[in-house]
Parts: sequence; C-alpha cells; structure tokens
Amino acid sequence: MFEYVIQRLATGFVTLFGVAVIVFLVMRVIPGDAAVMLTGAGNGVVSESELEQVRRNLGLDQPLLVQFADWAGKVAVLDLGTSLRTGNPVIEDIARRFPYTLQIVVMAMLIAVFLGVPAGVLSARYAGAWGDRVLQAVTVIGLAAPSFWIGLLIILGLVTFFQWSAPLFWEPFWVSPLKSISQLFWPALAVGMRQLALIARMTRSIMNEVLGEDYIRTARAKGLSERRVVFHHGLRNALLPIVTLIGFEFAALFGGLIITEAVFSVPGLGQYVVASILNRDYPAAQGIVLILASIVVLGNLAIDLLYGFLDPRARVSQAPA
Amino acid sequence: MKQFLWGTLNRRDVIKSGAGALAATVAVPGIGWGQGQTPKRGGILRTSNGGDPPDFDLHQSATYLTQFVCSPCYSTLLRIDPNDVNKLVPDLAEKYDVSADGITVTFHLRANVPFHNGSMLTADDVVFSLDRIRKPPTGIVSPRRGLLGNIKTVVAKDARTVVVTLNQPQLDFPFLVSNPFNVIMPRAVAEPLDAKGQGMKRQIVGTGAFKLSQAVDGQIYELERFDKYFGGPAYLDKIQFFPIKGEVERSAALQGKRIDASFFIANESVLATLRKVPGVTSLRRPTPTFINLIPNVNFKPLDDVRVREAISLGIDRTAFIKTVGPLAGAFYHSLGLMPLDSPYSLTADQVKQFGGYDTLPELGGSVEANRKRAMELLEQAGVPKGFKLVILARADIPAFRDSSINISSQLKNIGLDVTVDSRDAGAFYAAENKGDFQMVAHSVALSGSLPDQILGEGYTSYGGRNYGGWKDDSIDDLFRKQSAEPDAAKRTEMIKEFQLKFLKTYFQINLAWVGYGASHLNTVKGWNALPDLYANMQMDKVWLDS
Repeated sequence: MFEYVIQRLATGFVTLFGVAVIVFLVMRVIPGDAAVMLTGAGNGVVSESELEQVRRNLGLDQPLLVQFADWAGKVAVLDLGTSLRTGNPVIEDIARRFPYTLQIVVMAMLIAVFLGVPAGVLSARYAGAWGDRVLQAVTVIGLAAPSFWIGLLIILGLVTFFQWSAPLFWEPFWVSPLKSISQLFWPALAVGMRQLALIARMTRSIMNEVLGEDYIRTARAKGLSERRVVFHHGLRNALLPIVTLIGFEFAALFGGLIITEAVFSVPGLGQYVVASILNRDYPAAQGIVLILASIVVLGNLAIDLLYGFLDPRARVSQAPA
Repeated sequence: MKQFLWGTLNRRDVIKSGAGALAATVAVPGIGWGQGQTPKRGGILRTSNGGDPPDFDLHQSATYLTQFVCSPCYSTLLRIDPNDVNKLVPDLAEKYDVSADGITVTFHLRANVPFHNGSMLTADDVVFSLDRIRKPPTGIVSPRRGLLGNIKTVVAKDARTVVVTLNQPQLDFPFLVSNPFNVIMPRAVAEPLDAKGQGMKRQIVGTGAFKLSQAVDGQIYELERFDKYFGGPAYLDKIQFFPIKGEVERSAALQGKRIDASFFIANESVLATLRKVPGVTSLRRPTPTFINLIPNVNFKPLDDVRVREAISLGIDRTAFIKTVGPLAGAFYHSLGLMPLDSPYSLTADQVKQFGGYDTLPELGGSVEANRKRAMELLEQAGVPKGFKLVILARADIPAFRDSSINISSQLKNIGLDVTVDSRDAGAFYAAENKGDFQMVAHSVALSGSLPDQILGEGYTSYGGRNYGGWKDDSIDDLFRKQSAEPDAAKRTEMIKEFQLKFLKTYFQINLAWVGYGASHLNTVKGWNALPDLYANMQMDKVWLDS
C-alpha cells in the first residue's frame, strides 16, 4: 500500500509539473501583458519605453525558460510569488480566500449527497411511480441548467420577493459558524443542484441494477425487512461508484465555482482566478491553477485509497504483485 | 501681482478676464456645506461603486474605483467647491498669487497640516508631488502629466510657499492643478517606494479627513476618521467601500438598505428602478465623459479623410444615443468637442457642416442623404462595397462594447462590412496601446470641463488620448495658443476655431456624452452630485441623518 501511495504521488507530481508548464505558457500566450495592466490600462496611451521599464522590473524581459525556472524554483520551496495586483504573497491571498470556496464545496456536496442519495434510492425502489418521474424531470433540469443561471434565479427571486441581497461582508466560518453557513447556503445550493441531480440519477441507475440481483431476491426470500434489503444489502453494494462520483465531483467543484462566486460576489478562489487572469497577474494565476490542480490530484488519490477501504477486492488488486 | 482668496475664483472669472487682471476679493468662509440641517456626528457610510480599486496610487490612476476610495484621504492645493463645479475653494493652499505676466503662480500653504503618518506637510511635499505628476520617475506612469505640462519649474520658496513657473500664461492652471487626482503626497514616504518601482500603490498617506484602516481585496476597503484633519474632524466615523461589481446587485443592496450609497451607476434601468424606491434619492448628471469612434489613421484606407468622413456620415447619432444611452448612460450630446452647455460650444449651423453631426438630436439632418453621400465618398476613395473593417471593443464595459456593436450595425448601411473584435481588458489595451487595431469605440472620462482639460487631454496629438496615432502640428499649436491667450473673447474664438479645425479631420468622431448616475438613501446628507464624476468625493462634510 505504501509503495502504491508513493507511486501515485510521483505520478501526481509529474501531472502537476505538466500543469505548471501549460499554465505558465498559456498566461504568456494570451494577448496583453502584465506591464500594460500595471501601468493603468485605460489611462491613455503608455509609451513603449515606459512599458519596457515595467517589464524589466518584473523580469518579463527575460527568456521564457529563465522566467519559468525562476518561478518553478520558488514553487519548489512553496513560494508562489507576490501578486502583481494585490501586492500580497499569493499564498496569503489564497489562504484568505480558500476557506470560502472550501465551505461552498463542502456545503454543496452535503446538500447533493444528503438529498441526492436518498432520492435516488427511493426513485429506484419505486421506479415508474409518479415520484420517480418527477425526480427524473427535476434531475434533467438540474443537469441541464448551469449553476450560474440557477444562482441568478435564486438572487432575483430572493431580491424580488424577500428584498434579500448578497451579504456585504462574508463572515468566515471560524468567526461565526451559523452566520457563515446561512450566508453561503444559497451559493452552495446553486452549485449543488447539478451534483444533486447527478448523484440522484447515478444512485437510481445503480440501485435499479442492484435491486434486480439474485442476492437481493435471496434477502427478500429470507424475510428481511424492505428497509434492510434496500439500504443494507442494496445501497451498500451500490455505494462504490457513487462514492467515486462524489469524490470526482468534490475535486472538480473547486475549479467550477468561478462564475457562481462572481454571481454572488463571494470572495473565494474563483473570483481570485478571474481577477488574476483578467489583470494578467501571472504569479497569482499560475499559483492558483497549481493549487487547484493539486486538489484534484490529491482528491483522486484519496478516492482510490477510499476504494480499498470500501472494497477489499480493490485493496488486493492495488497491492504490488 | 494679483492675490486670490477664497470663494473668488470661478470659471466665469477665468473666461472674462486675463491671468493678471483678476481683482482680489475676500474669503467667504463656510461655503454652502451642511446648510439647512445641523449635521450629526458619527455613523458609518456604507457604499459600493463597483469592483476593487486596482491600487491606491492616485497619481498613476485614472479610474474612479481608485479615486473614490482615495479622495477622502488626500488633499489638493485647491479643490472644487462642493456646491459649484465652476469655483475653487482652499484646500492645502489658503491663497495663491499670479504674477502680472501670468507666468508665476505662488501658492501659500496652510500651517500645521499633518499627514496620516504624523509628519507635517511642507512646501517640499508639494514640489515632490507636482514633479511626480509632470515628470514621473522611472517606473511611475502619470496619465495626467500633460495637464501639468505647462509647468517649467516648481520650487519651495520656504516651508509654506511654493512657486510655480509656467512656460506660458495659462488661465486654466488653477483648475488643472486642482484635479482631484493631483493630490499631495509626502516625499518621505513616496520617494523611496518610487525608487523601488512600487509607488504608492499599496498604501495611502495623505492629509485628508479619513485614513485607510483596512483593505481586504474582494471584501472591504475601510476608511476611518482622521481626527487631526486640518479642516476639522469629519462627521462620519468611517466609510466602508464594498466591491460589489454588478449594478443590479448594488441596486439590490441599496434597496435592502445594506449600503447607504452607490456613487456610480451607468445603467438606466437600474437607476429607473431605484427612482421608484421610497427613501432613496437617485439622479443622473452629465459629466465630462465622451464616447468617440477613433479610426487608426495608420491603417489604410482610414488614413484617407474621405473614408473617415464617410464613416461619420454613416452614423445616425440620435439612433446611437437612443440605443446605447440607456446601457451606458450616453444620453447627452453637445455642439462641438466641448461638453454640453459649455460657453465654448459651437452653433448648430457650425456643427451641421461636418459629416453626420446633423443627425444629433433636434438638428434635423437626413440619415438617408448622409449615407448616400457616405457611399459616394467611399467610392471616390476607392473603397469597394463590402470592405471589411473591425472595431476593437472592450467586452466588459457597455460604453465600449455596446457602442461598437451599434456602430458596426449602422455602418453596414453604407456598404462596409464592419465586425466587432470583443476582448477582455488586458487584450484590448495591449492592442490599443500598440496601435494594433483599425477602429475603436472609446469612452474617455475626464475631470473638469475647461478647454485645457477637454481639448488638452482629448484632442491634442500628445495629450494621452491619441489612440488613432494622428499627427497635426497646426492643431497642437492652436491648442497651445488658446491656452496662453489672456484675452477671454479672443480665447473663446480660438477654442471654437480649434474645434472646427479638429472636426474637419475626423481623427475622432464624437458620438455622445455620458452622464453617470448615483443613488443614496435620504439619510445621507451633505453630498452634492456635481457635473464631474471625480469632484466632491472628499466626504469630509458628509453626514448621516440616522
């Protein structure tokens, strides 16, 4: 198992290096550069000599390889550099914003799991009934509608009917947990709708399959209660792909919050990514993408390890020969 | 030498008289502020005007996002009267003199003015600040250096006296030096940061009524009262700025009384909604902001004046204002290059002689006839039907984006195949700055409506807004001459001549003028919306009646 983890971490490192190279190059390839934005874009025509001076100050006049080596060397010692826009160390900016994004992701997934799994199970158990059909329709909408659109509808509805508007100051969870949860509930709901639909449909599909298995029939023939049959024998066996899905979605959500955070003005990582890219804030954009990629890599590793925990067969197959 | 005390200098004086001909008058204390009710002390003004300020260095900035946050923290030598945009009142200078030949301007500073860091203001800080604006050190970019370009030298005569020598007399100089961005910074703080190339982007050290207490990117910018403010403590305890980007969201926050004011709203439907809300005051006022279509004269066939005139002829300005107005606040128009109601405006007949300008509201021009003439001009210039042109547009600002879309659609009526290249701010400015575009629809927000402000920045080849890369020495010379002309009547004629000369070139094609909206709860008192977006944002006399 230890070797397996090491092997996966090594693979993850290679992946992250690839991500670092790609994001570094992409930021340089897109039109516009940090010097133009830093000299106050829109303030009028800036002379090329002034721009050159700013580029020299930022080290942007160096060959790309030198710039990359310089950045990568700093990243290796966990220094993501200083944001050109905020003037703060990128790691500090990220640390301040990360809790909001994490909280939305966790809340969205909790909403999705605690509503999606039972809904999927009941839908499978009562397949074809009106409740099942309603759920099918609702989940199709949940899958089709983008989260930012749902977010806009939520905001418009709340503003129109309840004169609600997004908070001015988003309370950190550790300062006031209840207030923080209540503030981030609507963004989490907007984001969680898709995951809820996905999990409910996946659960229904797998449960449908499982409930037709011989061992379920045997369990029923043994006279076990329907609840025990469905939840103990059925759901437990259907759990593996659902957990996999939850894991993937959890990791993917970190990168998928950009527009929803903008809609609700949540000062999370999504807004930071957007602002960094729009301002050609190279250290910040590169740093945040690397962090998000790390979350996905580590998330996938965690899911694989969880596989082994949930399914002994997977543990055996993962073990080195 | 003539001496100017306070409540005295207004634009009418400037227009009517020469620099050496103004009579000295006596100060009028306590002008207008807080009239009517007795101001109450205390409270937090919660406001939101858009996104995060990109930085705090006012000398390097040209955005209201920076200026609204920084203005309460800084002072200028003189400042715009909060009740009359045409008047100047004292700020750091309690009086100033202009020599008989109009060349030397001497500012007499107040005594005992502390900066937020505890140091005291001296004439050397003024010298440093004015030099920083007009001759920025390496690594510092000053978008308003042209405004103070007529300064020859700035010298500290003693600790409280600053002597400015001009290259030539300039009637508008007191207003130019009072531009709300031209604040006075402490040399001891700013100079070392400039040497590092950082400037004052991350800190605020001024002499204003408020000082920065916290700045959390994406969350809040908070100012607290500076009790040692030389003008006496402000009424408000704090001002909080929340970077809510969307105007609809800001409107919702205002309706829900989560914020007290939003001093920047462009979209008319948002403002219209707020006008119906009880307890909320909403307004829109014209500001010195114009939207121009700018052809790149280095791109063929736009180097041909006939083609530029054809493009101007192809645009129905009334239709433009009706369509783009509600989206960008571009409801206004003027006669000529100066803002509406300017004493230097041209007559309707003068304006109508230029292609397409007769389609301005109420001028009675024929769009069809103009477009027919446009097609003739294009044919004469050898531009084939279906010729492709691209308008570079900034995607995130309606004044840029929606103007471009409207114009591209209108120009199809004269046989041009015009498309819009919509880009994010970074890509847009990179292309514009390099001159890598064919046409651009540009909104230009200026501070102040005087000829040297509007024409100097907007319509000289060196003024900073020459995106189209044109060069015409006769235009620049005429600008300099009017700027130095002491005789008001002669100057007015020269300014009109300048406009007629410039309009003939179609280097820039004026489409509309913008008026920005503002909205605040009725509990916010002591703030006047002046016809200048940047003026009167010091907030030292604003108070809350709640």
